[in-house]
Amino acid sequence: MTDTPPPGPAPMHIRPAKTPLLQRLSLVWVVPIIALAVSLGAAWQTYSDRGVRITITFDNASGVQAGTTEIRYRDIRVGLVEAVEFDEGLGTILVHARIDQDIAPYLDADAQFWVVRPDVSVRGISGLDTVLSGPFIEGNWNTTADVAQTNFTGLDRPVLTRASQRGTIIQLQSDNAGSIAAGAPVLHKGLEVGYLEKPQLNFDGSGVVVSAFIEAPYDRRITSSTRFWDISGFSVSFGAGGVALNVNSLASLIEGGVEFDTIVSGGDPVTDGQSFTIFPSEQVARDSLFVDPSAEVLRVAVLFEESVTGLVRGADVRFQGIRIGEVSEISAIVVGEGDLAEVRLQAVLDIQPSRLGLGADATADAAMTLLSDFVERGLRARMVTGNILSGSLFVELAQIEDALPAIMARTSGRYPVIPTTDSDISDVAATAEGVLARINALPVEELMNGAIDMMDSIERLVDSEDTRAVPSSVIALLDEARGLVGSEELQAVPAELRSVIVEIDAIVARANDADLVTSLDNVLEVASSALVNIEQATRNLPRITAEIETLTVRANQLELDALVTSAASTLDAIDAFVASEDTRALPGSLNGALEELRAVMAELRAGGAVENVNTLLASANAAARAVEDAVSTLPALSAQAGRLVSQSEAVVASYSERSRFNAETLATLREIQAAATAVSALARAIQRNPNSLITGR
Amino acid sequence: MSARAAGLVACRNCGQVHQLDTLRCKRCDSTLQSRDSQSLQKVWAWLVAGMIAYVPANLYPMLLTSTLTDRSESTIIGGVIELVDYGAIGIALVVFAASVLIPVGKFAAIIYLAVSVQRGSGRNRHGRHKAYDVVEFIGRWSMIDVFVVAILSALVQLSAIATINPGIAAVSFALSVIFTMLAAQSFDPRLIWDADRTIHD
Repeated sequence: MTDTPPPGPAPMHIRPAKTPLLQRLSLVWVVPIIALAVSLGAAWQTYSDRGVRITITFDNASGVQAGTTEIRYRDIRVGLVEAVEFDEGLGTILVHARIDQDIAPYLDADAQFWVVRPDVSVRGISGLDTVLSGPFIEGNWNTTADVAQTNFTGLDRPVLTRASQRGTIIQLQSDNAGSIAAGAPVLHKGLEVGYLEKPQLNFDGSGVVVSAFIEAPYDRRITSSTRFWDISGFSVSFGAGGVALNVNSLASLIEGGVEFDTIVSGGDPVTDGQSFTIFPSEQVARDSLFVDPSAEVLRVAVLFEESVTGLVRGADVRFQGIRIGEVSEISAIVVGEGDLAEVRLQAVLDIQPSRLGLGADATADAAMTLLSDFVERGLRARMVTGNILSGSLFVELAQIEDALPAIMARTSGRYPVIPTTDSDISDVAATAEGVLARINALPVEELMNGAIDMMDSIERLVDSEDTRAVPSSVIALLDEARGLVGSEELQAVPAELRSVIVEIDAIVARANDADLVTSLDNVLEVASSALVNIEQATRNLPRITAEIETLTVRANQLELDALVTSAASTLDAIDAFVASEDTRALPGSLNGALEELRAVMAELRAGGAVENVNTLLASANAAARAVEDAVSTLPALSAQAGRLVSQSEAVVASYSERSRFNAETLATLREIQAAATAVSALARAIQRNPNSLITGR
Repeated sequence: MSARAAGLVACRNCGQVHQLDTLRCKRCDSTLQSRDSQSLQKVWAWLVAGMIAYVPANLYPMLLTSTLTDRSESTIIGGVIELVDYGAIGIALVVFAASVLIPVGKFAAIIYLAVSVQRGSGRNRHGRHKAYDVVEFIGRWSMIDVFVVAILSALVQLSAIATINPGIAAVSFALSVIFTMLAAQSFDPRLIWDADRTIHD
């Protein structure tokens, strides 16, 4: 190639036609545009979705991590913690979090946040899932969107009442929170129907206020007449009704709790925030139902002269057994002036007019009028023992018969005074002492000795060889009996008996022939006359008895002077009488007669011969005579006894009091009397049944 | 002397030389173009697309790791910093090179090539051609990140105990690498030498 221009026409400057910009642009440009659009779209999406940033202030945010810790509402994630930092004074921790767009409008002034951590309490374990996942922040707000907020203050403890729970929140008032912990259950008939929030001091610091949440539908059970009472721990009440121990659930033992019940109907339904009082016990709560705290109270005083130990504030005031009020104050006041001044113990009684039967809206004045009227008719106040063991007392207004006239007056002090009467106080010590003294007096030792003696005797008896030999003897006897029964002779007895009966028949037939009956009549006649004699003889016995009785009467009036000298001789005489041959012979001769009769009868039975009957009757005759003879001595005996009695009378007349001698005398006389009675009884027996002389029975 | 000056055109696929006005390669039937008039436009377009895609690739999490107790999302740079914290500086360097240095270097190299061609600079033509070759060669290695994410996501799926999922960044990063490779491919290295021709013509 050379540097010279090529031959031919100068090269044309061919300029390509200007193509439009759009045609010159490559299609590839679509790709970056799409990429840009997508990127911008994504960026916008991210920006618009990123949620609302809120700040929660915590005192303690342990475990909360930026980018990890979630915000949850009813266990669903609604946000994420973005940053955790201290505020300027390092006093609190600021947790910045993003809350989902759709949730943010609900975060208004009532929103609450707290950090959920594992919690172990009496009532169970909660938040266990946070052990692995780390704590999360739980939020609670209601379901109505209000003015949205972005700054919140976190709570130390979880709130117990979630906004989504349906129920009623009420305020409970108590003197102290010693037995109430946050979360403690509210029971109704043993069911857990709610719980208590954290107790707080009331505005003037005089008590404690605690919110209670009652779940629906149980909250409908609460009316304005509902009563709440404390069921914390266990209670031991020791009152007039005895000892009562109440223990509720284990949780309530530790955490406390309250129970409520609506005992009377007619209360108004409650609204949120209504206030109730927690009563210390169910009994008090129930009692309070019948006491309108706003009702008027009649205050009267009672002046006691004796000690009021055992009477305390709050003790019952009863009227005919019904509680009408309580003792509100016990104090000592001076009554009278100068030398007459003395100290009385004043108990002020708060009496509920409505309890006196005056109606619910009775005034104190009406009650006063009623009581004055009663006092004029004999109403008096007195202390009565409520519980014998504890010695507690209550005041009773009782109607006293023939009470000294008195009126209800303002003699001293601020209150009208109800006159008193003697108190009815049973002292447990005195009562117990009396019981012990009686127990002491029981002859326990004698009884024991007697028992020991008896046991000794039994032991001796049992130990004796004779007793031991008894069983073997019995066996031998049985053997013999068996032998006897088995003997041929005995077997033959029935046949012999039959022949004997035949013979007896014959004998009876012959007896009829021999005019036996007439002879028997004779015998009986003689016996009858003997009996007449006996009867005459015994007729004197009552007289003797009467005389002895008069003697005894006189003996009661005896003087002691001549006692010693006369006693011996009298007793000797009595002894002599008792020991005299006649006295002793009397039963003997009677016996002899009877023995004879019995022998005759035996002979008669044994012999069985008709010929012997006549001799028998003759013997019976003789026997009857002998009886007659024996009995004929009875008048003499009576006379002798009469003499003896008069003699005794003379001696004993000098005696004045009952003494040992006297007693002996009486005993002797009683023996005489007994002997006489025996004779009399014998005579009566013979009289009633003369045949016994013959039959020996 | 270039093929164009000689009235010839070479097929870029198989190297067959044709007359300048031939439209299609008679050997491989691919379109013949002496110079790609839209080459630079394409380069810029793909490059812009790649750079746009590279932004979310760095802002969004690359890996979503959730274990029994923890759940973490890590971006590319975040992952590198984490690795350095753990003391694995070697691995951190590899990741950093593959995910940051190489893509950014490629952007820079392609911009340099495109700008120099547009301005018709004739300096250091051999160096620029070498740079083009390096960009073409190294481009594919940027996909190493995407492969790591893909393999981890496939292997670590242990239900509740530990799972790894690819984030949006993984897709963006893959797109960015692809767009950059296309940008590099769209570049017609013959343009480097045309500038010399215009100067010496």
